[in-house]
Amino acid sequence: MRRFAAALFTLAALAALTAPEPARADQLVTDLSEHQVAIRSNFTGTQILLFGAVEARTPRSRALNRDVVVVVQGPTRPMTVRRKEPIAGIWINHDSVTYPTVPGYYAIASTRPLEVTADPDTLKALRIGIENINPGTPTARAIDGTLQILPPDEENAFWKALIRNQRRNGLYTSLPGGVTFLGQTLFRATVDIPANVPVGLYTAKVYLLQEGEIVDTISSPLYIDKRGAERFLFRMAHSDPLLYGLIAVLIAALAGWLASAVMNRQ
Amino acid sequence: MQIYLPIAELPVSVLTILAMGAAVGFLSGMFGIGGGFLMTPLLIFLGIPPAVAVGTQATQIVASSVTGALAHFARKSIDFKMGGVLLIGGILGSLSGIYLFKLLAAIGQIDLTISVVYVAFLSVIGAMMMVESVQAIRAARGGTVTRRRGGHHSWIHGLPFKMRFRRSKLYISVIPPILVGYFVGTLAAIMGVGGGFILIPAMIYILRMPTNVVIGTSFFQIVFVAALTGVMHSLENQAVDIVLGFLLVVGGVIGAQYGVRAAEKMPAEQLRALLAAILLLIGMRLGYDLISTPADPYSVVEVEAEQ
Repeated sequence: MRRFAAALFTLAALAALTAPEPARADQLVTDLSEHQVAIRSNFTGTQILLFGAVEARTPRSRALNRDVVVVVQGPTRPMTVRRKEPIAGIWINHDSVTYPTVPGYYAIASTRPLEVTADPDTLKALRIGIENINPGTPTARAIDGTLQILPPDEENAFWKALIRNQRRNGLYTSLPGGVTFLGQTLFRATVDIPANVPVGLYTAKVYLLQEGEIVDTISSPLYIDKRGAERFLFRMAHSDPLLYGLIAVLIAALAGWLASAVMNRQ
Repeated sequence: MQIYLPIAELPVSVLTILAMGAAVGFLSGMFGIGGGFLMTPLLIFLGIPPAVAVGTQATQIVASSVTGALAHFARKSIDFKMGGVLLIGGILGSLSGIYLFKLLAAIGQIDLTISVVYVAFLSVIGAMMMVESVQAIRAARGGTVTRRRGGHHSWIHGLPFKMRFRRSKLYISVIPPILVGYFVGTLAAIMGVGGGFILIPAMIYILRMPTNVVIGTSFFQIVFVAALTGVMHSLENQAVDIVLGFLLVVGGVIGAQYGVRAAEKMPAEQLRALLAAILLLIGMRLGYDLISTPADPYSVVEVEAEQ
């Protein structure tokens, strides 16, 4: 018993040395099945496996109210939400709200529903959960482009619409129960990457919670980028748009000429 | 088989695109039209962003109008002089259309504008063609000869800068053809069409050109306006998808062959009534979308980073 206590003490001391955070906290070890997703001409979406283990520093408190939350977030960009209104019987884009930093992709998976994982304030502070995304300070505009101030509840309707739209496109997903434990320490989560995913640098963050408190966080990068011909054409269209346009038109003209040559022979 | 489009940034079924290209190509071969007014709405229905649909469609129009123009060149049914004058207006129109497109996209009204312009033109031209072809069919059945147009003077003959167009047997001011070209060029850039379905009636009814040179001259003018529109859409909006364009062209070329043959077996009046019906149907479909309550009144667009 004494020996055990001594061993525990040294282990705790070691933990204190290696991790300056709460001395007896559990630690995460995680990895992704892929750190790079290549979008090629046959890309129709993919799945990424995130797996990891909880290294228990306190063997006795094992798996008691322990939660793992996985958040995969894409690059942010400005986005505008427009609302149509019927004017003289025709539905016309009317008011709009622009958010400066909207993640193009946001997937969250957790062992249990977020509501029971931690209290709302903690989740809000850490920006965990689709509702807690921070899209920056919105600017609202009227139909003629002039700035206007919308009442908070109305502005919230625009934000809700953006989330709804992104969910519909499979770009925002939440999966309570999406993280599954295999035994006491190993866990895994699969993240769906749809075909319409924006390219750029993604981060996969894993949170370990104990009794609703964050115990450990780990973050790993994930690159999603076009490759091969897709990359070449996209790059060229943006870096040499004149040449790209001329080539596109020339190919088309050539195809038209070829068609008439074939027709004449027949 | 799915293929990921590098500019539209979504995967599409290769067979669907080829079939669409072939179907539109068939109709374009059958009626001697570019088919842009059919293809652009179809691409937008498929989920292709409107800017990419319009920009890419320009390349497909280049291909089909080159084929058409070469066929008419062989038959010597192109009025190059008139085509050139129309082209001056067309180039100016295309440039201002591109600018207008960018402006409307920035204020969020481009989708609405495309739809409204489509509804207006498709229903007006469809109705006009329908009335005329039904009258022609009736006249043919009744054995009476349709009354002949032309010959009489109109306001057009009072305009200055007159020029002689030998091939069209016309001596008219260059102002109306330049205006017609400008108008069609603007529409071409906004709607992703060649504009033949507006240009041809305008040449017949406003410029009073003889029908045998109308189609060839229209093809000749459209080749250059569509080429310019394609290059400008690429330059200004980076909205030309070569992969999508290539698939559409391949499908279109194949479809057009069969369309031309099918047209030879059908009388011209019935053919025109059929085209009018198609125009009216598409116009009504787009018009319904404008007035029916949308499933979600909110829409989301990405904003260019520099704004």
